[in-house]
Amino acid sequence: MSTQALSETRTLLGRSLRHIGRSPDTIITTAIMPIAFLLLFVYVFGGAIDAGADDYVNYLLPGVLLITVASGIAYTAYRLFLDLQGGIFERFSSLPIARSSVLWAHVLTSLVSNTVSLVIVIGVALLMGFRSGAGVLAWLAVAGLLVVFTLALTWLAVIAGLSAKTVDGASAFSYPLIFLPFLSSAFVPTDSMPAPVRLFAENQPVTPIVDTLRHLLGGTPVGLEVWVALAWCVGVAAVGCVVAASIYRRRVS
Amino acid sequence: MTTLTQERHRTAPLPDDDGGAPGAGLLSSIGLFTLRSLRHSFRDAESVLMAVLLPVMLMLVFTFVLGESMAVGDGTRADYLAFVLPAIALTTAGFGASYTAVVVSNDVTTGFMDRLRTMPFPAVSVLLGHTVSSMVRNLLATSVVLLLAFALGFRTEASALELVAAVGLIAMWILVITCVFALLGLVSGSAEAANGYGFILLFLPYVSSGFAPVESMPSWLQGFAGHQPMTPIIDASRALITGGEVGSDWWIGTLWCIGFIVLSVWMTAVVFPRKVAR
Repeated sequence: MSTQALSETRTLLGRSLRHIGRSPDTIITTAIMPIAFLLLFVYVFGGAIDAGADDYVNYLLPGVLLITVASGIAYTAYRLFLDLQGGIFERFSSLPIARSSVLWAHVLTSLVSNTVSLVIVIGVALLMGFRSGAGVLAWLAVAGLLVVFTLALTWLAVIAGLSAKTVDGASAFSYPLIFLPFLSSAFVPTDSMPAPVRLFAENQPVTPIVDTLRHLLGGTPVGLEVWVALAWCVGVAAVGCVVAASIYRRRVS
Repeated sequence: MTTLTQERHRTAPLPDDDGGAPGAGLLSSIGLFTLRSLRHSFRDAESVLMAVLLPVMLMLVFTFVLGESMAVGDGTRADYLAFVLPAIALTTAGFGASYTAVVVSNDVTTGFMDRLRTMPFPAVSVLLGHTVSSMVRNLLATSVVLLLAFALGFRTEASALELVAAVGLIAMWILVITCVFALLGLVSGSAEAANGYGFILLFLPYVSSGFAPVESMPSWLQGFAGHQPMTPIIDASRALITGGEVGSDWWIGTLWCIGFIVLSVWMTAVVFPRKVAR
């Protein structure tokens, strides 16, 4: 990416962030569902769930953070769809700016807004009794993994936003992504699940990501799963980026 | 001129004048609007899908994902399935009944109610039609939940009479939330607002004895969960479905239902005439 393209991306990022600044309710709405899950699972189900952890909020938080991102990217698809429908992309294509900067601006906006949502959710978890034995490096690793995960899902959101026929269609794609953590080790250990469900749960992308985050936040050693988690995130991000770019070229050519 | 004046001031009908169409009776017009409401709801693919998918998803997640981790009964999946069954039936019914708020609100805001003012039948039959339609839809959804539970291995020692009583109690709660959602549909400015107002009702089953025993909750939450209307209804339904001891839950639950129905019907009786004033 050239200096010129970076400058254009920064300008368009400013535009998108101003949109979010004018409607901060989107960030609040994004955080409401994961916070509701936190409250529900910790206070209502937590006492009855045997997850093998001393404090269920510590066990639960990593999965809820992934749900936060999954619900947040629906807005990325929504904003992208509105831009596409509003004809702003056609106006951009007539300007001497890099095509990639338009998409990257949306992706980085998603990164910023999801980071804010994640901070809100972690804040609520702290109020609910979440405590971490992680050091500074471990927290940086958590932040890094969440950034890569957000990028991966955001590129999927870009594909959905560019391909959708309706506003509802643009954001509805996130429902399966929100549901995926339920079929993982996010809420209960996978060994308590029946064999077919366990087979799926142990081999889907959310489980290694959740387990890695849980180990990092708990200050316990991370095994091979960190590489599996990163491979999933980077793989999805790379494929998503390529597919999104080709759809974008087709849509605005 | 004289003829015109006579025509204008005539009070009694002429011998060959039938005095206008008598209009539809209450029951036949309720039947008509029930069919209309059912047709609309079955054409709405999203609501049909939701009615089927929601109980299936809830049942599968709570049984297969959380089932063996929940400290209920002997801690087996079968025990938790029996425990959670009434709550899933009532949660599904809640989502189904929320559709009533949307359709009633649409009828009010799109001017459909205004068009009915000129027609010779009781205006309230539209509302009653939506209510009966909701009952039919949600009893179908409840039967889906029960059939799915049996397919997943739920077995019971309850008699047929106890099962009918359990379904009756669930049906009474369906009537309660349908009446409340119909009222919300009347008073809210839009379908979205109607849905938003009713969200608290949809959340009630989760903060009850439906998905986890009240004793396992923190003390500050136990006070609410133990004394809210859904807990006795769920406990009584569970006891009836599993053939257990019902105790006082059934009549406490019934009293809650009757109280809600009386209150919402009275409030509807106050609000409805203003909405469709002739």
